Amino acid sequence: MDRSRRGTRFPISAGTRGGVRPGARAVAVLGMAVLAALAACGGRGSAGQAEGRLVLAAPRDLAAGPEDPYFTHRTLRVWEPLVTLDDEMRPAPALATGWERSDRGRRWTFTLRGGVRFSDGTPLTAEAVVANIERFRRIAPRPSAFFSLDAGMEAAYGKLAGVRAEAGKVVFTLAEPVADLPARLADFYSMIQAPSAFGPGGDFTGKPVGTGPYMLASWSKGQRVELAANPGYWGGKPAFDRIVVRTIPDANARVAALRAGEVAGLIDKGALLPGQVAAVAADGRFRVTRTPSVLTHYLTFNASRKPFADPRLREAVDLAIDRKAIAGKLLAGTAAPGSPFLSPVFGALSDPGVRSAYDPVGARRLVDAAGRPARPVSILISSSETGQFPYTDIAEVLRTDLEDAGLPARVNVAEATRAVMEAGDYDLFLSAYSVPNGDPDYLFRRFLRSDAAWNRDRNLGYRSDAFDRLIDRAAAAGGADERRELYHRVQRLLADDRPMIPLAYQDNPVVTSTAVTGLAQSPAYLVDLAKLAPSR
Amino acid sequence: MTLALRRVAETLLVLLALSVLTFLLTSLAPGDPAEEILRRGGVQPTAESVAVLRGELGLDRPLFSRYLQWLLGVLRGDFGRSYADRAPVAAEILSRVPATLRLAGTASLIAVGLAVVVSVRAALRPRALDSRIARVATVAVAAVPPYIVGILLISVVAVGMRALPTGGDGSPDAVILPAVTLGLAGTATLLRLLRADLAAVARLPFVKLAVAKGLSARRTVVVHALRAAAPGAITAAGVVLAELLAGAVIVETLFAWPGVGQLAVTAIRQRDIPIVQAYVLLTALATVLVLTLADLCVSVADPRVRR
Repeated sequence: MDRSRRGTRFPISAGTRGGVRPGARAVAVLGMAVLAALAACGGRGSAGQAEGRLVLAAPRDLAAGPEDPYFTHRTLRVWEPLVTLDDEMRPAPALATGWERSDRGRRWTFTLRGGVRFSDGTPLTAEAVVANIERFRRIAPRPSAFFSLDAGMEAAYGKLAGVRAEAGKVVFTLAEPVADLPARLADFYSMIQAPSAFGPGGDFTGKPVGTGPYMLASWSKGQRVELAANPGYWGGKPAFDRIVVRTIPDANARVAALRAGEVAGLIDKGALLPGQVAAVAADGRFRVTRTPSVLTHYLTFNASRKPFADPRLREAVDLAIDRKAIAGKLLAGTAAPGSPFLSPVFGALSDPGVRSAYDPVGARRLVDAAGRPARPVSILISSSETGQFPYTDIAEVLRTDLEDAGLPARVNVAEATRAVMEAGDYDLFLSAYSVPNGDPDYLFRRFLRSDAAWNRDRNLGYRSDAFDRLIDRAAAAGGADERRELYHRVQRLLADDRPMIPLAYQDNPVVTSTAVTGLAQSPAYLVDLAKLAPSR
Repeated sequence: MTLALRRVAETLLVLLALSVLTFLLTSLAPGDPAEEILRRGGVQPTAESVAVLRGELGLDRPLFSRYLQWLLGVLRGDFGRSYADRAPVAAEILSRVPATLRLAGTASLIAVGLAVVVSVRAALRPRALDSRIARVATVAVAAVPPYIVGILLISVVAVGMRALPTGGDGSPDAVILPAVTLGLAGTATLLRLLRADLAAVARLPFVKLAVAKGLSARRTVVVHALRAAAPGAITAAGVVLAELLAGAVIVETLFAWPGVGQLAVTAIRQRDIPIVQAYVLLTALATVLVLTLADLCVSVADPRVRR
């Protein structure tokens, strides 16, 4: 009776009263099982570093496969270039021990390091170097995950008439003089691998065969690269026998892997986001290394239409921006306020005489004199860049800075900024640019020269014969002093004309556990894995 | 038989419409694949390089002829080559299918298992404390995006307890955290449905009869009521599994899981149209297959449907 009465309300539960509770038991058993399983595999040791083996992580895959011109990123040290860059972006010897210029920059002769062998045992020869340069020219233009080859390779080799081997040396002959060929060749564009590594079409037939301290042991696309020390390396054996670099694209997951001890360090561009640096640096288990990078945040003006066709209003924007707040607060101190067009990583080429100023009162005066624009100015940012840097916040600060100066503004976040810019539908564009090979000519010629695609197609509206002449002269300048003086003049000119203004020079923070020493990073995000060693 | 044929014809039509749509959307969206690909390393390409690459990729030809060529290729089983690294698309996707299947399979096992256990418990003791907690927890889990659940799991289980890896596919237990993250998202949907169905079935006369005959409550629920409630749940499970296959995108990125979803995210960012196209087609096909499979299962479980 009792059952049927209760059954009308809960027909099924009635029978369980006072008896077994199967559901509860099942849940309990399941819960116990999960806990037991977790406890069983708990206490995982620190996998980031075992005997002779090091595990690191990077935001992107540092190997790109046989169809890529390089197969592996320079950071992995599988291959070496003829010329590399030192900490101040000056050309430094790698496989070439020295170079000589003759015929006023139309002929460059590179002397090769002796006793160097590729990882397959064959010796490095001048003929092998020539084969590599010719392969680059043959397969260009070719996209790369790291450093695309442009049609003609002019940015790298200038107007190259020929390259050949002469008595064990490599000779570049150029149709027009190039003052800084070694700097242009540095790193990627002078990668040298055994010619046997390439098939007839220029693709790799198997693994890369370089001269570096490490060899590619295995690669699992998008997941991990495993390197093994090269026993025949000319520079001596590196401290770790094996290095694994895992690809972890998500920034939070990357730091979690570091904290969990799965990886002993994070390297490469964007390894730590600005917002993550303080917390990781405060943790005694890790050592954060902050080095200036080739990345600079610029504000680009659309001077082909009102209001910024008026130089007074461009100056007003320049004065209205609180660069200290942007670099110090929004970028969390991972950047320095920008002044000259070329950041300090360009060394002597950066002009210390150019100083940006924060003068909201002066900005307001200029706006009053020029007249307030009829409609709000549009600040354009790219949605793809907001993931890496706090661009929405920076754009918001720019907007308030401009409004304080009397320039009403709005922020436009776009997916395809190119289309917006080509339609001319913007006034200011906030974006980061980098000069991966440290060549200022690349930046000026590709972005700002009167005939530059960027300037012309994206409606920058910058036309200056003086600027064009100066950068042409600087590119052909023979002496270092002359070249420096010309680039300083270029920067003073740009500080007056303001087609683009630098907001902040970005650092690239990287990190290792304190159990690892020797982490150093070049401005172009290159890490020398062979210098890493266990702490004593 | 005619029904099956109609089903196949419908599926093909859906796939065709879908392929036109994705092709148009990805091709007409602003942004030039050639420029995006050349710029990957951070170097601004020259206009000449962009033009040459556009020619190589066939981007300078009219939209319609590009689509036609792609379609003819697909009919021959050739999905083309990736714009970005020139690898054959079919091989690229196939190599990543096992990882996604393993993740989605484990996740759906977790989702179905959890949903069945909790809903049976709720049917047996609807007012018990654990049933109520489960009810609240379901709503809570359904309300939190998988990305947040994943981050929480990583920081507690992987970083705090060091019990499981934070991601990657380096060891057999690496699948657990991403599968739980993905599975929990499916559990919520499934659980609500199954619980409602069980409650409805519980009011049917045959259940009362079973109880009246003295059958134990556990046997009544697990053997009789659950089977009667199964058709709705199986259909729902099919939908959930299809969602998991497609929805693995976020979880795969968070856990660096080398599946199809991660590939798709990268491809979309680089405007690698051949990969995006193949991904959309494959996901659609998988969805149709899973739903058909669910229909088959329903007809096995429920004799009424067969007639």
